[in-house]
Order: sequence, then C-alpha cells, then structure tokens
Amino acid sequence: MEVSRRVSARAILLGNEAIARGIVEAGCLVATAYPGTPSSEILPAVAKYADELGVPMSAEWGVNEKVAFEEAAAASFTGARACAVMKQVGLNVAADPFMSIAHYQLKGGLLLVSSDDPGPHSSQTEQDSRYFAMFAKVPCFDPATAEEAREMVFDAFDLSERFGIVTMLRPSVRVDHCRQDVQEKITPLRPGPVKFEKDPSRWVCLPAFVRINHPKLNQKMVDIREAFEKEFAKYNYEVPAKGKATLGIVASGSAFAVVSDILKGAGRDDVSILKIGTPHPLPVKMVNDFIARHDKVLFLEETYPVMEMQLPDRTGIMGRWNGVVPGAGELLPEVIAGVLARVLGDDSLVGGAHPLLKEAIEELKILPRRPMLCPGCPHRASFFSIRQALPNSVNPSDIGCYALGVNQKAVDTVIDMGASITASSGLFLAQKAVGEEKPVVATIGDSTFFHMGLPGLVSAVYNRHAFVLAILDNATTAMTGGQANPAVGTKLRKGDEGKRVDIEGACRGCGVEYVRTVEAYDVAAGKAAVKEAWEHAKSKGEPAVLIFRHPCMLLRPEQPSIPVEVDQDKCIGCKFCINFFNCPGLVFSEEKGKAYIDERFCVSCGVCVSVCPHGAIRATSGEVE
Amino acid sequence: MQYIIVGIGGQGILFAGKVLGAVALEKKQRVTGSEVHGMAQRGGSVISHFKTGDFISPLVRAGEADVLLAFDQNEGIRNLHFLREGGAFVVNVHDRSAFDNLKLKEFLEERRISLFPLEGYSLLKEHMGGNFLFLNVLLMGAMSGAGVGAPSLEDTAAAVKTLSPAKFEDANMKVLKLGYEAVVKK
Repeated sequence: MEVSRRVSARAILLGNEAIARGIVEAGCLVATAYPGTPSSEILPAVAKYADELGVPMSAEWGVNEKVAFEEAAAASFTGARACAVMKQVGLNVAADPFMSIAHYQLKGGLLLVSSDDPGPHSSQTEQDSRYFAMFAKVPCFDPATAEEAREMVFDAFDLSERFGIVTMLRPSVRVDHCRQDVQEKITPLRPGPVKFEKDPSRWVCLPAFVRINHPKLNQKMVDIREAFEKEFAKYNYEVPAKGKATLGIVASGSAFAVVSDILKGAGRDDVSILKIGTPHPLPVKMVNDFIARHDKVLFLEETYPVMEMQLPDRTGIMGRWNGVVPGAGELLPEVIAGVLARVLGDDSLVGGAHPLLKEAIEELKILPRRPMLCPGCPHRASFFSIRQALPNSVNPSDIGCYALGVNQKAVDTVIDMGASITASSGLFLAQKAVGEEKPVVATIGDSTFFHMGLPGLVSAVYNRHAFVLAILDNATTAMTGGQANPAVGTKLRKGDEGKRVDIEGACRGCGVEYVRTVEAYDVAAGKAAVKEAWEHAKSKGEPAVLIFRHPCMLLRPEQPSIPVEVDQDKCIGCKFCINFFNCPGLVFSEEKGKAYIDERFCVSCGVCVSVCPHGAIRATSGEVE
Repeated sequence: MQYIIVGIGGQGILFAGKVLGAVALEKKQRVTGSEVHGMAQRGGSVISHFKTGDFISPLVRAGEADVLLAFDQNEGIRNLHFLREGGAFVVNVHDRSAFDNLKLKEFLEERRISLFPLEGYSLLKEHMGGNFLFLNVLLMGAMSGAGVGAPSLEDTAAAVKTLSPAKFEDANMKVLKLGYEAVVKK
C-alpha cells in the first residue's frame, strides 16, 4: 500500500502532536501508551494522523506502561518499527522490561517516549528520565522545541535500527505542551515488513545470554557516543558569542530555549552556548573542548545533573553539583535569569514583583487557587458519603483526579498508581498485629484500578485483608483529559473495536464476595453502602468492593438540572459544606459569615442539597428545569 | 508580541491560545506558546503563554508581556508582574471594588498599564441567557477591542469560525462583538 501526501505548509501543533506526526511519518507499525501528563495527547494524535493518512498501523492504550512497553518491544522483534509512550513515572512501571530490553540486539526500531514534568505540575515526582536512559545504558534525545522533537523521532528510529538498541526521546512538559508552528512535510514511510524469526539467544534473556550481551551493550555506548560527537551537528551545536565570551553555557532541552531567549532579550551577546540534544551518552570530547575554551562554564539542564554527571571532571564547572543551579524545581525564565544574574554579576537580569503590586495582592487577599474537583464531579459526592459514613476511617487514595479528595479531608495517603489498595493492606496488617480494627476505606479510579489495582486486590483477597475498596467509576481516564480504558471499552483508531471489561465481574473473578454498585450522586445510598461494606469486610475478614458510578463532567453527561440556593437565614456559617464538600460553586462569604452559590461555577447538579446538616442548601423552588 | 492568558481551570483559556495561533499563522508569523494540561488544569490557577516572532522558548518572562488577558480578575491581578511597562490588561471583572485598591491603582499608573475591564458574567447573563461557556469568545472580542497589537476583530472572527463547531457560529459572532464593544467604546 502506497502512503504518500505532501504538504509544504506550516501548521500550529501542540508539541505532542508534532511528536505524533514524527511517529506516524517514520513508519511506526505499532504505537502503544498509557495516558499520563504531559504525554497524554501523543497517542490519540498518532491514531488521528494514521486515520487521516490511511496508514495501516496499530495505535492503542495498554492497560499500564509495562504492558504498553512490552507490546511495543515484542512488535519490534518482528523487524517493524514500534514505540511506547508514557510519562516519567510511567517509566517506573515499565522499568523492568526497559532495563531488560536495553540488552537486546533489536531488529526493528524501538522508540520509548518518556515525557518529564519538571516543577512538577501534574506528577508525584520530578524525576529525570534521562537518568533512566543512563541507568539502562540507552541513548537519549532531549528536544528543545516541538519541531526538533518531531525531527528527533526519525533519528531515534534510525539510531535504534543502526545499533539494534532501544532509544529514548525525552520531551519535557514545555515541549509536550508548547503550541508552535511546525513545518508540515508528510511523506510517511511505509510500516513493516513483519517477520518474527526464532532465535532464543536474541529474544530470551537467560543469564547466559546476558553475560554475552552486556559487554556488547557497553560497546554500543562507546560507538553511539562517537556518533553523537560527529554526526548530530543539527542537535549538538555551538551558538558562539560575539568576540571573547565572558561565559560559556552548556544547555539541553527546554533550558536551552529559555536561556537563548533571555540572553537575546537582554542583549547579552557575550555569552556562548553549547546546545546538546543528545545528553546520553554525552559527547564528552565536544563538551570538554567547549569547557577548555571558556574561563567560566555553566550547565543548565532539567531536572537532574545528567550531563554534569558524565563529565570525567566537573569540579571546574558551575551547575547543580556546587549549588549554582537549584537542585529542584523547573528552570523557569525567572530562575535561569536569577542564576545568570549571579554568574554574570548583572542585576538588570533579575525581575521580581513590584513592591506596590505585592502589597495590593496582600491587601486584596488574593491567593493562588489550588486545583479542585470540577463542579458536579461525582467523586466529590463519593468522598462526602465515605467521610460521613465512617468519620474515623483511614482513607488511602490513588493517582488521578480523586487525589483532590484531599481538599475534602477524605484522602490520607497517595503513593503511586494502585497503592490505594496495597496501602490499605499495609494499614490493615499493622493494625491487626496490635489487635486494632479501625475502618479503612480506599478510593481508586476505574482506569487506575485496571492499571495496577488488580494485583493488590488479589493479594488482599488471598491474605484476607479487611477493608473497603471504593472504585470511583466515572467512565473515563479523567485527569489526563478523558481517555478510554478497559471499563469503557472503546479504542482510538476508526473501525477498531474494543471489548468492555466489567469491573464488578473482574472483582468477583478475583474472589471478592461483596461487590455493590451505587449511584455516586445518591449520598444517602452511598453512606448506607459504605457502612454495610465495612461491616461485611470486618465480619468476614476480607476486602469488600463498592463501585460509585456516575459519568465524569468532562463527558458532559445529560442529567437533571437542579438549581440550588443557600437559605441565608438557615445558614449558621459553620463551613461544614466548605470543609467536607469543597465545591467551586459553593463558597463562603467572610463578610457575611455565610455560604452562597457562586453561579459562575455552579452546574446545578443538586448534590449539595444533601450536604448541609442545617438544611440551608435547597433546590431553588419552581425553577427546576 | 508576547501574551499571558490567565484564569481558572475549566474557563476555556486554551481556546485563546488557539485563536491567537490561527491568526498568527494566517499572517505567516512564527508562533510559540505554552499550555497547561492535567492536574494543574483542574479548577485551579491556570496560565498560558503565547509569543509571536523570533523566539525559541514558549515561556514569557516576567515584565515582558505586551498583553495580559485575564478570564478571572484575581488571577489577572496576581499575574500583573508579567506585564511590561505600558502593557495592556484585559480583564473579566466580577467585583469592581478590587480596582479601587489604592496600591493597585498606583501600580497600574506607575507602570503605565492600560486597563480594559469588562463585566463578562453580567454581559453573558444579559445577552446569552447566562451561558458562561461563551466567556472565552467574549474575552477574545474584548482583546481585539483593546487594540494594543492584539488581532483585529475581523482576524479574530475568522479564527473563531475555523476553530469552533459551525452550530455555534452565530452565537460566537454575537458574543465576539459583545466583548469587542464592551471594551472599545471606553
């Protein structure tokens, strides 16, 4: 099948869409992913472009990152190009196959896209995936712009095939979520061919084979480093100063983009920059030559000192090792400007808020708004029911929107995907050892349950751990923007049909005897169900599962509109609704000492009517649509 | 041109960046901007950066934005440090009294910042049956009304038409004009 289209225009793309174009255009046959900010938009864009161009490739969500990575890796064993996409903490989940596959002499190109989140904005760590590349002995590309990221996809596939090694593309959030004009030049390569050849010495990681492959992997690193020194001038290049440089900066990824704009804006053309797009293995000769030509050298990279660490001697440079660059947080323009101001002794580079503005903000009591569950979110109702049913319970939760249940004092622990269940087991075991029986009610989302919840649940059934697991099924993967998952059953590509996996059935299949489903908005039923589930768990000595079901507001479900109001005479200003329901549409007036409905945000879901212990919140009479 | 667009997750601020991008592309300008997705987007403070011209990084430095477009006045005031001296502050106001604050007045004056307030929620209540989903288009209209290097009403209208579903076209054009006139007559 011939796939060809040429467009020589520029289009404005999200960085993730640019990466997706690269994946489709580079002839990738199998693309897999698990959604995670900031990487989530890549795979849906792959599916969209593949549909538009009629490319015969697979693009689908794996149930977690380990599944997704293993699928892509095995697909590449056939000689076809394959890629797996995830966020940085997703790579922790896929670490096992990633470390192992690094040793293989691969056949088809295999690309791992691991998106980092310095800051972090939407993650439990701000770890640096490039470190993982170093740990696994895998080459890594670190794009500074959307256009470069797209270009690097092609080179990463080529390099993978040339050396028979998995390669990593590490965009950070400012590349994933930038919106830039990108050259469109689509002539997609044809995916394939597909032929799996049996060869246990190649595809079976027995220790005997690893002992042969590890030295080979070391040699690959030597050869790839050499290639990065000589052949990748489009990613590794110097932006020279005018005349003698007062400072040399070695920068990669977003930090390069930011520092370039700052220096240009400030008219500091006396600083030269060595831009590195292949931070691992570091082209050490190139970097050392640059260092030797400058009196002062500063390293800027996110988020860990990966380039610094690879220098044979870093004592002469300024960076993270000596505290010149902060050891945590995103390298925002103001942070880099602050570092430059100190290094160059140029105070004009430092901005800082105007004292008058600072005072005005203080006087007006304006604070940054914390993330909150959306108005009408079914999770809010579920958390309220759980807290009210068992106020003295401990509440482990999980990764997803529902971590925001912390605003309702209904989330006590969050570790990583699936840990609501295993943390419940741990808390149960600790209590059991000292003869205590405090209720534990865990919360997890539908997608997260399938991602990594199942093994913990099986373990809890087998070991007879008594707790309640509340699965908050909103029929989507909401936090990352609404991707499908097994409980939904739909897939990404046109005409590609999935099969729905039933949560209730899955729990029963794992041996859970008590499985009940309630409408999340029905607070009275929810409270009764939580009490009943805990009684079952306690008396039978086993986990009980409650499914709170109601679609996510992002899906814009059709539901009755119940406009509400706060009776100002009945409201006693106790803030119960603020502290335990915490809805953007229900706010407190410090001036009046009473709650009121903020019509800017209220979506008239009507749930808060059952929240006020004094009956002050009621449906607006006669106006129910 | 450098823009900062701020608001609260759920208000539809990503749309503003898309409109600015479409306009700039039409004019063959280089474009780069930064958006917020994921947890950071849920109901909390959100910020979009947008730059046209010869830039590499999508991020705007404090003190360099030409325009600050605020979907929420508190988020706007909190992010005024992004505006350059003489910049334009287009803001959706829900509580006018904040702008009586003397320190704020003095700051805006000292930095020669042009203020373009509009009461978006009241306008949408009055003219659009209280459908606040039109807030983003309303503010795009206001920004074009403010002038200050922002895209013209015609360019903005063309971009909004391309970017939103046809069934909303008439309503969007009405709201765009509403926003434009709310600011331009002042």
